[in-house]
Amino acid sequence: MAAVNYMAASRVYAKGTPPAVDALDLDVKDGEFMVLVGPSGSGKTTALRMLAGLEPLDGGRIEIAGRDVSDVQPKDRDIAMVFQNYALYPSKTVAENMGFALKMQHVHKDERDRRVREAARILNLDESMLGRKPKQLSGGQRQRVAMGRAIVREPKVFLMDEPLSNLDAKLRVQTRSQIAELQRRLGITTVYVTHDQVEAMTMGHRVAVLSDGKLQQCASPRELYDNPVNQFVAGFIGSPAMNLQTAPLTDGGATLAGTVIPLAAPVRAAAARDNLSEIVLGIRPEHLHLAAEGRYPDTAGQDGAGLAELTGEVLLVEELGADALLHVRLAGGDPVVARAEGRKPPGPGTRVTFRVDPAEVFAFHPVTGARLAG
Amino acid sequence: MTAVTAAEAPARTSRRARNRARELAAKTGWTMLGWVVGIAFFLPVLWMVITAFKPESAAETWPPKFTFSPTLAQFRVVFDGMGPYLEHSTIATIGSTILVLVLAVPAAYALAIRPVKHWRDGLFFFISTKMLPIVAAIGPLYVIALKAHLLDTIWVLIILYAAMNLPLAIWMIRSFMLEVPTEMLEAARLDGAGRIREIIEVIMPVVIPGVVSTALICVIFAWNELFLAINLTVTNAATMPMFLISSVPQEGLYIAHLSAAATVASVPVIIVGWIAQRSLVRGLSMGAIK
Amino acid sequence: MTIIDDLVKPPATGVRPRGVSRREGWQRRLPLLPALIYTIVVTQIPFLVTLWYSFQNYFWNQPGGAHWTGVSNYKEVFTDPSFRNAVVKSVTMTAIAVIVAMLLGVALAVLLDKKFFGRGLVRTLLITPFLVMPAAAALVWAGPMLDPNFGLVNYLLEPFGVHHVAWLSTHAYGSVVLVMIWEWTPFMTLIVLAGLQGQASDVLEAAKVDGAGAWATFRELTLPHLRPYIELGILLGSIYLVNAFDQVRLMTNGGPGTETTTLPFFLYQKVNYAFDVGGAAAAGVVTVVLTIIVASFALRMFARVFQFEEAQ
Repeated sequence: MAAVNYMAASRVYAKGTPPAVDALDLDVKDGEFMVLVGPSGSGKTTALRMLAGLEPLDGGRIEIAGRDVSDVQPKDRDIAMVFQNYALYPSKTVAENMGFALKMQHVHKDERDRRVREAARILNLDESMLGRKPKQLSGGQRQRVAMGRAIVREPKVFLMDEPLSNLDAKLRVQTRSQIAELQRRLGITTVYVTHDQVEAMTMGHRVAVLSDGKLQQCASPRELYDNPVNQFVAGFIGSPAMNLQTAPLTDGGATLAGTVIPLAAPVRAAAARDNLSEIVLGIRPEHLHLAAEGRYPDTAGQDGAGLAELTGEVLLVEELGADALLHVRLAGGDPVVARAEGRKPPGPGTRVTFRVDPAEVFAFHPVTGARLAG
Repeated sequence: MTAVTAAEAPARTSRRARNRARELAAKTGWTMLGWVVGIAFFLPVLWMVITAFKPESAAETWPPKFTFSPTLAQFRVVFDGMGPYLEHSTIATIGSTILVLVLAVPAAYALAIRPVKHWRDGLFFFISTKMLPIVAAIGPLYVIALKAHLLDTIWVLIILYAAMNLPLAIWMIRSFMLEVPTEMLEAARLDGAGRIREIIEVIMPVVIPGVVSTALICVIFAWNELFLAINLTVTNAATMPMFLISSVPQEGLYIAHLSAAATVASVPVIIVGWIAQRSLVRGLSMGAIK
Repeated sequence: MTIIDDLVKPPATGVRPRGVSRREGWQRRLPLLPALIYTIVVTQIPFLVTLWYSFQNYFWNQPGGAHWTGVSNYKEVFTDPSFRNAVVKSVTMTAIAVIVAMLLGVALAVLLDKKFFGRGLVRTLLITPFLVMPAAAALVWAGPMLDPNFGLVNYLLEPFGVHHVAWLSTHAYGSVVLVMIWEWTPFMTLIVLAGLQGQASDVLEAAKVDGAGAWATFRELTLPHLRPYIELGILLGSIYLVNAFDQVRLMTNGGPGTETTTLPFFLYQKVNYAFDVGGAAAAGVVTVVLTIIVASFALRMFARVFQFEEAQ
């Protein structure tokens, strides 16, 4: 069993400054692919380094396979790490790089060679590359050697620190699926850090969203998308980002672009409990349905009953081929981004109308950011 | 996410405290070793300076005296006698260094930025002159200097010190010039900058710190040079190293006086080296070695 | 990779092996000419004159000037045991001093790389021996430090059973080498330190995660990384130390006997005491030839690098 448990783990760099990682509680199941995602400064890399043993803990503890490793040296934790810039040993060949950890463990040369070759095969690293030095390799090749170095160790946990961020876009997409596939095949518990929420959503079994050193929400990608627990998660997950606007409360709902968006009773009750006069409304671009296209949200009937309508003027159109992103200024002056069909999107200056299903609208507390769901 | 419980809070501080204590212990160990080594290397210099303040009677004692009544008498004698030597050293050092820079900067440019076709050969030629010992030619050098009426003049030192430091200066300034980002050069070229503009406005600002550290190293070697000075000068161009030798008389007590002379002779370069430490270190590792 | 791999970077812009117009070619050569001409005149001419005089019989203190004497000076040099002794002394002293200085340099660089209190100040103290005038250092070591009757060294070593040793008489060779090491260790330290600080920190972390302890990391990763720096230090140190003169002249005057007579001092004696310009010239030429042979090893390092660059 190689589960990983963060228990109130903290890291404070200098006395008096806010913690880089603030009492993190996170459980990674055995064999799970857990992604830590968040903007820079969110503490995700620090949390990973704490698991690796490269950062000391200032509070709480960390367990691997049920054993407290908080004070254990990195080499005794049975982990392997892929660094952001690969950190390959420049003076050693590819084979020596991959076999280094085994050499440190005094594994016999023949066994070492066998395992290195096996890892190279898994990663499609050509035999001819084994004798080369890192500076003779391309970025993609170096990344694979870095992964090979980790695989060879057959550790309990893989740690990966933004391993794709230095690759070009196309290679990134390719390698993304390769890594996910590899993890599925090997079944090793993996903790993966990235700032790219697309990577997080496509690769992780579960995703932990961090901000300012605190865990915001840890759930499956689907759950994060459908049920974000606060404004930060809602705005971070999903591309393009959810539209968030402050909207004053009225009877039955909140006002946006001159229209009242109805809010469910529990939401209104929660708002009333805190004496709120306004809330933050969140609508995803894909949930702003262009009336002109005759599109309706799946939840509504064909007659459009119960839908709210928002009007606005198109400022800018970004054509992506299959889709188009419309930057629209709504009637009240608020800007939103909406997703439309790519074939013939409305041009700049056009007046447009969107239909919104209130069930697809999120409401957040304007101060705490927590989701109001009653 | 759970809040930090009451039981965890003290655990946090104690773990943090333990980490810090461990760091402190290691740091203390290295500090002691560092200082022992530092003082050991500095000891002869320290002893030299201390002895310079002794009266002669307190300088050659057994056991060596650590407490005594300090006097400036030795320094007074040194300052009285060193005038011309100081002047010659200063002129030779500054003169040769200026000459070196005037020659080296364009040469480095020709080997770095818009290189000559056989830049490798050129570079190797300059370095090879450094590898050949100047000592081998000292006899004939003396004769040449004599015949050219340069013997015992400051010029012979300026000329030879410049030749001595030139290869090193070219090598160092060249490697600093290679650090100039190619984009800057290309942008300047697109803007129509000719060679001179290119040097003055694009290259020099980037390279000035490197040129300064090169100049410092040339100053150090020129100021401290003895072999050529002792063979090619007598009185009219005698430099500080020779002043030092002259403070060792045939008989009589001289240790305190010698120490004072040694201190005064060394102090300028030591102070300069201390102040420009970072620049010196950068120059020594020559920039190009990454 | 050897030093020069990293040192002799090819120029980034403007290298056009073909197609550089004649005018452009001359414009490029122009800035190089002053330094080139200067160096040729000031270094090659004296060498040619040395060559000329090596075939002459020319004694300062005798009237009549120089006259042709064929290879008799060279015969003398090759049969002179004191010349051979000077070569041996030069080579051994330089080798020992450079190697020990580099070993100490690596150790001190590792020390200075660690954070400790007053590290900057210690570094300042450590570079001082390199800044001190070698003549001053030689005289201070000869007198206040190593003198048998009032030297500090004897005083500090007394508790260890050392009594009034006349270092410059009984251990002249070692004393001179010691001063050379003392002067050049800072130089080695700084070069190696630059190398240490250039090591990528994430590579060192990867080694930690891979299970390498401090010594294994140093041996497997740091030393290979430091190789170009160490080679540079040894090359430069050797060039300067083989020409070292101050220490011998001022501490032991080549003695006792010829125990510390290095080549520079040997030549100095030939000119200033024997007044033998011809003999000194011949010895000088032989010295140069020997140096060329040794330097050809360095040549091979350069050549290997140039080939490597061409292949890029």
